Amino acid sequence: MDALEGVFAVAWPKGGGKLTPYLLLVPAISVVGLLVIGLVYIGDSSLRTLDRTTFLFSENYSLENYRRALSEGFTYTIIWRSLFGAFVVTIITLILAFPYAYMMVRTRSALVRKALLIALFLPFFIGQVVRAYGWLIILGNQGIINDALGLIGIEPLRLLFNYPAVIFGLVQYMLPFAVLMLAPALTAIPEEMEAAAGSLGADWFQTLLHVVLPMAKPGLIGSGIVVLTLTLTDFAMPAILGGGTQDFIANAIYDQFFRTSDQGFGSALTIILVATGSLVVGIALATFGAGTLALGKSENEVR
Amino acid sequence: MQHELPHTVQEHASETFGPVPAVSAKAVNMRFGNFYAVKNASFQLEQGRFLTILGPSGSGKTTLLRMIAGFLTPTSGEIFIKGEAVNAVAANKRAIGMVFQKLALFPHMTAAENVAFPLKMRRFDARTIPDRVLQYLKLVRLDGLENRRIHELSGGQQQRVAIARALVFEPDLLLLDEPLAALDRKLREEMQLEFRRIQKELGVTTINVTHDQREALVVSDRIIVMNNAEIQQNAAPIQMYRSPENPFVATFIGVTNVFSGKLVKRVGDTASVLVGEQELSGQSRLGSSNITRFESGAAVKCALRAEQIRIAREGKPLDKTDFSFTGRIADVIFEGERQIYVVDVPGVSADPIRIFHHDQDEFATHHIGELVHVGWNTNDMHVYAGIS
Ligand SMILES: Nc1ncnc2c1ncn2[C@@H]1O[C@H](COP(=O)(O)OP(=O)(O)OP(=O)(O)O)[C@@H](O)[C@H]1O
Ligand SMILES: [Mg+2]
Repeated sequence: MDALEGVFAVAWPKGGGKLTPYLLLVPAISVVGLLVIGLVYIGDSSLRTLDRTTFLFSENYSLENYRRALSEGFTYTIIWRSLFGAFVVTIITLILAFPYAYMMVRTRSALVRKALLIALFLPFFIGQVVRAYGWLIILGNQGIINDALGLIGIEPLRLLFNYPAVIFGLVQYMLPFAVLMLAPALTAIPEEMEAAAGSLGADWFQTLLHVVLPMAKPGLIGSGIVVLTLTLTDFAMPAILGGGTQDFIANAIYDQFFRTSDQGFGSALTIILVATGSLVVGIALATFGAGTLALGKSENEVR
Repeated sequence: MQHELPHTVQEHASETFGPVPAVSAKAVNMRFGNFYAVKNASFQLEQGRFLTILGPSGSGKTTLLRMIAGFLTPTSGEIFIKGEAVNAVAANKRAIGMVFQKLALFPHMTAAENVAFPLKMRRFDARTIPDRVLQYLKLVRLDGLENRRIHELSGGQQQRVAIARALVFEPDLLLLDEPLAALDRKLREEMQLEFRRIQKELGVTTINVTHDQREALVVSDRIIVMNNAEIQQNAAPIQMYRSPENPFVATFIGVTNVFSGKLVKRVGDTASVLVGEQELSGQSRLGSSNITRFESGAAVKCALRAEQIRIAREGKPLDKTDFSFTGRIADVIFEGERQIYVVDVPGVSADPIRIFHHDQDEFATHHIGELVHVGWNTNDMHVYAGIS
């Protein structure tokens, strides 16, 4: 240990104390920096068109890829499908996650809390692709549900490869993220607040509406934004549960890069995706204010 | 004490005529698993009175208060508010204002919105709400600050918002769960008097929880002392101070010396006891019933308050005390307005005796190691049944 400290003392001279916090940022900034480089590269190729005869990219820049993307109805269908899906998934996820997180935080039984936590983490261990494949087994035409329905004489239902199936899979995938982000926000609300609301005459619903929800707002917004962006950019669920008929933006990009090999067009779609995501998050932050993310000083701290 | 229990229960069970008490509890128990947080609590509180529940940490004060507020349902027994049994009434259906230990003000609302909250929840006429809010903010002297957020107010101002919020809907009962514990001493004493003023002004029945004995003595009409989940004594402050019912109350309130001894004999209200090598006499608090239990030789505890003991320089014997002994000053503790002498009196007690200095003419005249006379009167020493 002493040797280690010795090395540190050399690397970190005493005078460098003020710089230390900034130095600690370097790794994170480098990672983000790599991302920016990638984005610049993509931005560059989005301005070059593919020559279909030579399969080479043009030397000079043009907005042709964007024009093509924005003039095709297909692009709008996909953007709309992704955006609408992201909103629906976010809202359903938050509605489901809130009571789950609330129970997990407020329950008096340590056993219940542990059970809820394990149930929450279990899907993480399985991973998205395996999980989606699991849904195929359950919901497929020869799946468990249709087998069961067949036993009572109901024709097989088409439960897969449609929009609701994708939404369903995404909600299921996002739920743990939302719960994990909501739990600390709810922990920060003292139980006494709810008792106080009760003694002041509020029933449980009024307490929820006027006290718990407003105080949980930072957590709700934070987890909402995470779910929204993760859904908007998701690939696996639309690909597997949508079966190619329910593509989101990420699937379209994948097709351009790896199927059509039109890197230029794919890059343009990527830039459009990034812009859409940024716009949505920007609007959300502007509406609710960055302060609601509980960055900086918490308002819940009452002296 | 146990042998006296049937006696006190009987007293509570006897019918009381006259006005209905604002709050009463009958044989209330609160059990968590096998652990009693409140055991066999019975008391009555008349309309408009200020009751303080006093007791050490963990003695069950908050639990008792939470049962009255309706956050907890007693395991057994019944609580009555204005004569009506309320065990089955939810907290939000009781008309009880409560100020919490951590205030529990809503941080996302302004001071005025906090005060308006109970009015909205209880469906007061919306047109009257702003005036009423202002009236109560005036009562707690916060007019002008109504639009501040909670975190923009000082600790004392937040206290005042909490009081206004608890009182604005004119509850039958105001409950205070140590809301002053976190304040510094000066602000706390100021707020104690403020509570008292507001309580007198509105005449609202109040139950205050604290472990500050000074606060209890200053603000209350009545005090209940709790220990180990049980009510030890329920009395007016002066009575509580002057005639504590058991050694716990005697030592919990005030600075009290306790000697262990053996009963020699009891004649009426006076008990003779052997303490160390000395035979002393004191006021008997052995109880009126069960005289035969207290045969000579029974273990007793004698309690003597620090301010009841006189002290004088050696060679200047005390003339007006019933007993007098020689001791040696072990320590002198300066507390500002008073001084405590810690005196070894080997013949009476193995532990040194604490004495408040009385003599205004001779302030701080005894020094460590000095020989002194200490003495007291029969009436000032209380003799209780010993635990063993
Ligand atoms: N929900 C509960 N479950 C189990 N035990 C509890 C519960 N609530 C209180 N207790 C126990 O009951 C006892 C009394 O608690 P209570 O909060 O009433 O004490 P208190 O007199 O208010 O103490 P303090 O002065 O520290 O606030 C404590 O030993 C506490 O641990
Ligand atoms: Mg307490």
